Amino acid sequence: MSTVQIDPEAPAVQPAPRPPLWFLRPQPHDRRRHLLAIAAFVVVVALAGPAIGGTSRANQFLVNLWMMYSVAAIGFYWIFGLAGRFAFCQTFMMAFGGYLSAWVTREGYPFIAGIGVAMATTAVAAGIVGTLVRKAQHFYFAIATFAVTQVGIIVFARADGFTGPNGQTVGIGAPELFGYVFRRDAEVFWLFLGVLAACLVVGALIERSPMRREAISARDNFTVAHLAGVRANRVHIVLFMLGSALGGLSGAMIGHWQGVMGSDSFGIDLTIGLFLILLLGGSDSLWGPVIGSAVFVALPKLLSDIERFGSIVYGVLLLAVVLALPNGIAESVRRLLQRVSSKGAGDAAG
Amino acid sequence: MDNVIALTASGIASGAVLAIAALGFLVLHNATGVVNFAHGDLITLGAYLGVWATTDLGLPVLPGYLLALLVMAAVGLLIERTAFAPLRKKPLIVVVIATLAAATVIRGLIAVWQGSTPKTLPSPAGDGALRIAGATIAHQRLLIVAVAAVAVVALLLLFGRTSFGRQVRALATDPDTARLQGVRTKAIGMAAFVISSVLAGLAGLLVAPLGAVDLNLGFGLMITAFAAAVLGGFGSLTGVVLGALAIGLIEQLVGGLLFPSYSTMLAPIVLFLVIVFRPQGLVNVTRSRL
Repeated sequence: MSTVQIDPEAPAVQPAPRPPLWFLRPQPHDRRRHLLAIAAFVVVVALAGPAIGGTSRANQFLVNLWMMYSVAAIGFYWIFGLAGRFAFCQTFMMAFGGYLSAWVTREGYPFIAGIGVAMATTAVAAGIVGTLVRKAQHFYFAIATFAVTQVGIIVFARADGFTGPNGQTVGIGAPELFGYVFRRDAEVFWLFLGVLAACLVVGALIERSPMRREAISARDNFTVAHLAGVRANRVHIVLFMLGSALGGLSGAMIGHWQGVMGSDSFGIDLTIGLFLILLLGGSDSLWGPVIGSAVFVALPKLLSDIERFGSIVYGVLLLAVVLALPNGIAESVRRLLQRVSSKGAGDAAG
Repeated sequence: MDNVIALTASGIASGAVLAIAALGFLVLHNATGVVNFAHGDLITLGAYLGVWATTDLGLPVLPGYLLALLVMAAVGLLIERTAFAPLRKKPLIVVVIATLAAATVIRGLIAVWQGSTPKTLPSPAGDGALRIAGATIAHQRLLIVAVAAVAVVALLLLFGRTSFGRQVRALATDPDTARLQGVRTKAIGMAAFVISSVLAGLAGLLVAPLGAVDLNLGFGLMITAFAAAVLGGFGSLTGVVLGALAIGLIEQLVGGLLFPSYSTMLAPIVLFLVIVFRPQGLVNVTRSRL
């Protein structure tokens, strides 16, 4: 009879030593890391936002605007960045959401109902448009959404009962939650920070979800993804709906904050601006829209001396970004960190 | 009845301008694969260059128009060199975004140069009008139809009978094979940008005397021209011309008679419906493009 000898003191497996600067090395998508990053971001903004906004009303305005543009741009990131849909209607959804929420609150319903109606209706509108043009690819989709935007702008300008004379709605009620009215910009800041944080959390959940992987596979090769069993059209439509809902949310928030709503604030300049935001920040990262919005909002202030040349600067910048930073700031920073951490590891090994 | 005649004449003239505008980006699209979102602002620039040449420089109308078209050719070349050539190997979507950037720059430059106050452009045909069965038809509209007819015939000859045209058609049909066969894509691309810009400028010069010249002049025209191109199948010259005439007549007749307040909505609606129900266009040309 033989017995198996078990070594009572088998050597424990030693974990591999961590290279220097290991924490800078990009990690695979991890929901907990994302959520921690969002928490850290919220803390930083909660500390820095009032400090920046406290210096002047103009700065507080810019900080608030940055957060709402970030929300719209996160939605656009889902549509354009993940789904690869070249949509021209995100600013239309912003205007539509703003008018809807203003109309709902004007009818006597609470602010939160207005926001809910704005998000739900823009999502449904996007669902209808997305379903109708689901087979349109690339430019055809762009042109179709361009057409939707043009029809919307004309309707907004003429539907006085809904949007007000010449598409100008005035006297929109300030945001109100649980009886607390956010009147001053400094108060609205906290509401917007909460909204942005919530959008980022949803974004983080999508980043780790199968939907993201399916959307990217369908974006990169629709036919192969379709043959592999990915319901590509459905994923694209769902992301189009979610992204448009964020557009509606952003427009509604801006409308209630400013108290006025005009479709000219959501015209072609902002449409191009959203592309600039996403390309500048990075269309492959959830943080791209946030970074890009910050630059986009800060630029007019930085360039106040050459205000007349604002649109020229935007155009040249967009071109320069496309040429010099094709992956955006977020991706460039990520690559830089990767290089630094690899160099550190190499130095340690040497 | 006189109203119908006037609207029909207006629709044909509108369709003729649309045909020139639509052919401009069709040429570019087929030669380079790019849909140029700066086309509308190029149309506006053409009109402003006409104002500059005839009013600011004081040139007679026809030489002024010719100078404007020459400058447009140079602008087309400049756009190709700055916003297209450096991006030749980038994904097409990046190139399209660069055209958006070009549009922003052009619009900004016009605003700085000419201001935002609307201007007027004199017509080579004068301010006279023809009366047919009680309907008044401006000489400018007749001029538009005549110039558009000449331009379309010239383009048909260019693309049907010349080596350049054959190379563009080869690129439009199968870019990779065309390159392997030695088609000079760079030279063709540059020529396409020049032709496209000149056509955009011509459209701007023709439509401007009918109203005021402002920064939004070309934008609406571009959307309607998109509709015409999509309606015509985005591939054939004839299809696009027919699509442009159809859109012009629909806008003027249906819009003018039934929905005067919403006539500008008709082109985007037609565009959307064509993409939904017949994305290959009403005139489907599969054998030969352009």
